[in-house]
Amino acid sequence: MKKQNTTTRPLWGGAAGRLTALALLAGAAGLTQSAAAQETMKVGAPLPLTGALSPEGLKQQRGYDLWAKTVNEAGGITVGNKTYNVEIVYVDYESQTPRAVQSAERLITEDGVSFLFSPFGSGAAKAASSVSERYQIPTVAPTASSPSVYDQGYQYLFGTFTPNSTLTTPLADIVANSGEEIKTVAIYARNDLFPLAIAQEMEASAKAQGLEVISFDEYAIGTMDHGSAFTLMRQSQPDWVFATGYINDLILIRKQMADLGITPKVLTMIAGPAYKEFIEASGPLAENVSSAAWWHPAVSYEGEDIFGATTDYVAAFEAEYGSTPDYAEASASAAGAILQVAIEKAGTIEPQAVRDALAGLDIVTFYGPVRFSETGQINSLEPPVFQIQDGTAKVVFPEDVKQADMRYGDIN
Amino acid sequence: MLYAQILINGLVLGGLYACIAVGFSLVWGVLNVINILHGTFVVLGSYIAYFCYVHLGIHPFLSIIVSGGILFVLGFLVQAGLINRVMGAPVLTTLVLTFGLELLLNNGILLAFSADYRTVQLANPLGSTIIGGLVFPLERVVATALALGLTVLLYVMLAKSRIGRAIVAVRMDAEAAALMGVNVKRIYAVTFGVGALMAGAAGSLLAIVFPISPLNSTEFLGIAFVVCVLGGLGSVAGAMVGGLALGVIESFGALFIGPEHGLTIAFTLLILLLIFRPTGIMGRRGYE
Repeated sequence: MKKQNTTTRPLWGGAAGRLTALALLAGAAGLTQSAAAQETMKVGAPLPLTGALSPEGLKQQRGYDLWAKTVNEAGGITVGNKTYNVEIVYVDYESQTPRAVQSAERLITEDGVSFLFSPFGSGAAKAASSVSERYQIPTVAPTASSPSVYDQGYQYLFGTFTPNSTLTTPLADIVANSGEEIKTVAIYARNDLFPLAIAQEMEASAKAQGLEVISFDEYAIGTMDHGSAFTLMRQSQPDWVFATGYINDLILIRKQMADLGITPKVLTMIAGPAYKEFIEASGPLAENVSSAAWWHPAVSYEGEDIFGATTDYVAAFEAEYGSTPDYAEASASAAGAILQVAIEKAGTIEPQAVRDALAGLDIVTFYGPVRFSETGQINSLEPPVFQIQDGTAKVVFPEDVKQADMRYGDIN
Repeated sequence: MLYAQILINGLVLGGLYACIAVGFSLVWGVLNVINILHGTFVVLGSYIAYFCYVHLGIHPFLSIIVSGGILFVLGFLVQAGLINRVMGAPVLTTLVLTFGLELLLNNGILLAFSADYRTVQLANPLGSTIIGGLVFPLERVVATALALGLTVLLYVMLAKSRIGRAIVAVRMDAEAAALMGVNVKRIYAVTFGVGALMAGAAGSLLAIVFPISPLNSTEFLGIAFVVCVLGGLGSVAGAMVGGLALGVIESFGALFIGPEHGLTIAFTLLILLLIFRPTGIMGRRGYE
């Protein structure tokens, strides 16, 4: 068996680089005793680096690593007469939420982290939030959207995802007012916290627009065949199919829809099409699939944070990893960048002061405008709606960053 | 018409299930080894098919030869070099050994190929055909036909060939087989190799149906378990009947009580079967 709560350091390249950097720093410190003390600020990050959620965990890790690398290369975070290098302490919780909570506690009590990034998703972030609240450690959640995570009355939790309804409301609005004959919606949801919540939100948004929800089916986690559900859907001929799940589910669902000849006018999927892996894996079948996410590389902001403009962030990410960042990766980087701004504004890494600075933030970052509501959830973002057209995701909403008009039909 | 379509869906799925399970069943039946590696062997077969198609242009239907061959050699070596050393030890020992090997191989694949999901996108997809209002997704249908074909081939091999008879003899009574001049350890290795071959071939066929990722191995292993128990352990016919039964039951279960509970019905039947007919649908025959 694997050792429980294995501390995961970055892979060899990163570790070697860090060792070299530390050696150099140690040498430099030895030579220049009088120079400002370079200290290390630890940020804890419990992540699902193995197990079913590992693709998501690795995305978050890439986002954090890029932030830490950018900060350290820029000389660290300076507050007062101290300069801090950032060290992210990872713990792999193996995709098991109870271990995420234990990991958060271990990071605080044993590793002595000053701040925490939440584990992946609303469920684990909520579970771990009680720990950081108890120890009064400012915590940024980069991948938790459910308002129930934030309405617990906690003071130290801040999240970079807006509520799910901010994704479904514009989608329903666009489709219902498209001028196309779209009257019926079939919803097909993975029975899992986020996919089910966003599906329920879509049901409400669709009904609010006067659309008829003709079916709402759930499928179990790990389902390997959707044939029966789509055979029934083929009979009901919905105008709009809204399917939720993670990337593996949605690749399979898209293929089986094609196999069984389901051709709605609109096909929306959350949360796969925001990832380039979905487009690569689905090929021509990805065409005209619409989606919504909290961020998209096509949005454009002039940030006051360390990454600067959105285009600069995207370029830095591409230079580091050879791929375009998606919303999960960007949100993880943003969590770091936002924490950094709050520390700089507070002028200290003292938890209460940083917490107050986070609560009072009103800035623009590469990720978008950042302002937190009373509960700690961001309320300043306008998540983009996009559609895969000619093999790439094109933003169709909001107007000011729009790249293309939404296409209807041609889902084969 | 609806029921006919669901039946087709179920049979097409069940054929693939049978192919996933047959190698696992053979190894369990003949060697009394619960091969936890099996799911990862299937995944490895899928990756071989993926790389064969992307880099060499070999269609997954043809790359079953490549993946089957590579996996046979791998399986043979694993059994001859490692598992043979602990044969005869309590079943828990071999279980732990294959579990450990699974962790190594699966994480190796994860490191080498990452957890990203990939699919084989055929340049000329076969699409679907509609006959009498019933949809036949052709890639699945052909994959299933090949899967069943391979399973029948294995059946014939066991029944007719010299090595097949030796495998069956070892399964029936290893000591007696040894007295008859059968090299039991070699037969163990060949059997494990054949089990891996079937897993690799199944992986190739699944590559055009399911997204490929090392994370799928547990699902494949789970299916293999269920099919074996449903159909009866160690028999090719049992795996075939068990696979088809699971596919059909799952499909009708999803129809009648919703897609969320398709597997619930299958697993409920499994428990009932374990209580009332623990030898599986086909019983404990399997000495083809």
